[in-house]
Amino acid sequence: MTDELGALTVIFTEFYYWITVVLMFLIHVGFCMYEVGASRYKHHQHTLMKNTILIPLVTVTFFFFGWWIYWAFPTGPYIAPSIMTESAGLILGGGFGANELANPMSPIMAVNLNDHINGVFWAAFLLFSWTAASIVSGALIERITTFAFGILAIAIGSVFWTIDAAWGWHFDGWMVKLLGYHDAYASGVIHACAGGFALGVLAVLGARIGKFSSSGEPRNIGPRNPWLVCVGLFCIYTGFWGFYAACNIPIFNLGPEYGLGDGVNFWTATNIYVTPTTLSGITMNFLMSLSGGLLAGYWVSKGDPFWTYSGGLAGIITASAGNDLYHPIQAMIIAGIGTYIAYKLHYWVERKFKIDDAVGAVAVHGYAGVVGLIICGFVLWGYPSSGYDGLGYAAINPVGMIIGAFIMFVVLGFIPGYVIAKILQAAGKLRIPREVELAGLDYNIMEAAKRDEKAVSSSNR
Amino acid sequence: MATLTSWVKHLTTDVDSATEGMQVAGEIYPMVGTEGLLVLIGVVAWVGWHVATANGEAEEHKKLARKSPGSNAHKSNITEW
Repeated sequence: MTDELGALTVIFTEFYYWITVVLMFLIHVGFCMYEVGASRYKHHQHTLMKNTILIPLVTVTFFFFGWWIYWAFPTGPYIAPSIMTESAGLILGGGFGANELANPMSPIMAVNLNDHINGVFWAAFLLFSWTAASIVSGALIERITTFAFGILAIAIGSVFWTIDAAWGWHFDGWMVKLLGYHDAYASGVIHACAGGFALGVLAVLGARIGKFSSSGEPRNIGPRNPWLVCVGLFCIYTGFWGFYAACNIPIFNLGPEYGLGDGVNFWTATNIYVTPTTLSGITMNFLMSLSGGLLAGYWVSKGDPFWTYSGGLAGIITASAGNDLYHPIQAMIIAGIGTYIAYKLHYWVERKFKIDDAVGAVAVHGYAGVVGLIICGFVLWGYPSSGYDGLGYAAINPVGMIIGAFIMFVVLGFIPGYVIAKILQAAGKLRIPREVELAGLDYNIMEAAKRDEKAVSSSNR
Repeated sequence: MATLTSWVKHLTTDVDSATEGMQVAGEIYPMVGTEGLLVLIGVVAWVGWHVATANGEAEEHKKLARKSPGSNAHKSNITEW
């Protein structure tokens, strides 16, 4: 960085992503509050620790291989050639290759005076990884072992979501090229995928003891602390601002990038596909989709606080795929539709398939994400999925988006979750013993605390 | 051990070059060149953590399951402080 303007651009971008990471921490704070609030008293501390421990597990594995997967897999491999290397194999070099940017032994995976972006960009993606794993966490409370959850968190946070991001959330991704897949703020790549993964695990894990009557009727369990749940969801909304900002490239000159002609410059923010949008516009869409979701959630749940707040989140998630381009009122309506469908599907699936999704994560993230992708295919039908004209990218279309939703929810979500859970179950590592579930995961901690209390009070006499 | 011992010297190594400012060695962390070993140590620590904690968790569950205190026993352990 030898000229001042270039240095300012780079350091602005560095700081921009850094701020998004700090904001996105609140998503995790929110998820922890939300999960603990939904769990019963005798499981509180283990519930908190389960969600907390995913932070280091996903972080170290994202350092070791998650980031590498994102940069290596946009071609499939062997599904569509890269526009950079013109090969359909793994992208390992050529300027944006995995071995140059994301190999954990690479000199830019550390403090490096010649690079100001890789670390903060890695961190922004990592916080998405935490979110993916945290979505799964809530659904499984009170009966999964921490060991099993750790393995599942690594699988969704450092492997499967990064594969889907390489395929559908990368300017060179094969789904963008062949299907016209568009998912600006991750309705599918984070939410549908993590929701599908959670459903796959739940199908193997089974319900909490007492959730269903002997005749199969579902019973309501909690939340024990609705206030904590709602404040947690407020924190998630707040962190979502960072999430939206992190999905953008804050400043980019599309003139030379698109080959618009000598001396033609167009400075703008872009989405992850390097197509233009504005932070200003997506701010309106974020708030209008939040509002659409809250209004629909309140209406469909008859004012239930848990579902009203969850509706706000489901609304944002539904509209996210196209929120770089929608009109704010479109965003609000789409959000309302997605929230309504997610709510109805949650109870239908619970009753029909005896699925005990303790926090509604599959509905709020999975179903809303899928609905958002499908609606996006219709509303943005005909829009270019990329600005790289002449390189054979398909336009956004409903069929491509429906196939994309299937890939996200089923292929990279449900199936891996189901298979890994089956393996853990076969090894006897998936579910805690029945006696422990009844006594409460915190039984020993609570018993020790009671002993301490007695000891202290006897010494005070 | 130290990758650099003088900032002035480090940042002016290419002052006469045609690509001034572009050739400063970016890596400034200690023990440059040992990245492979560091990754290996990190992976061992990560896998070791799983093994250690999984065994501890299984042992704790086994003990509690043997004791089988029942679904309401925790209520007598709720502290008042």
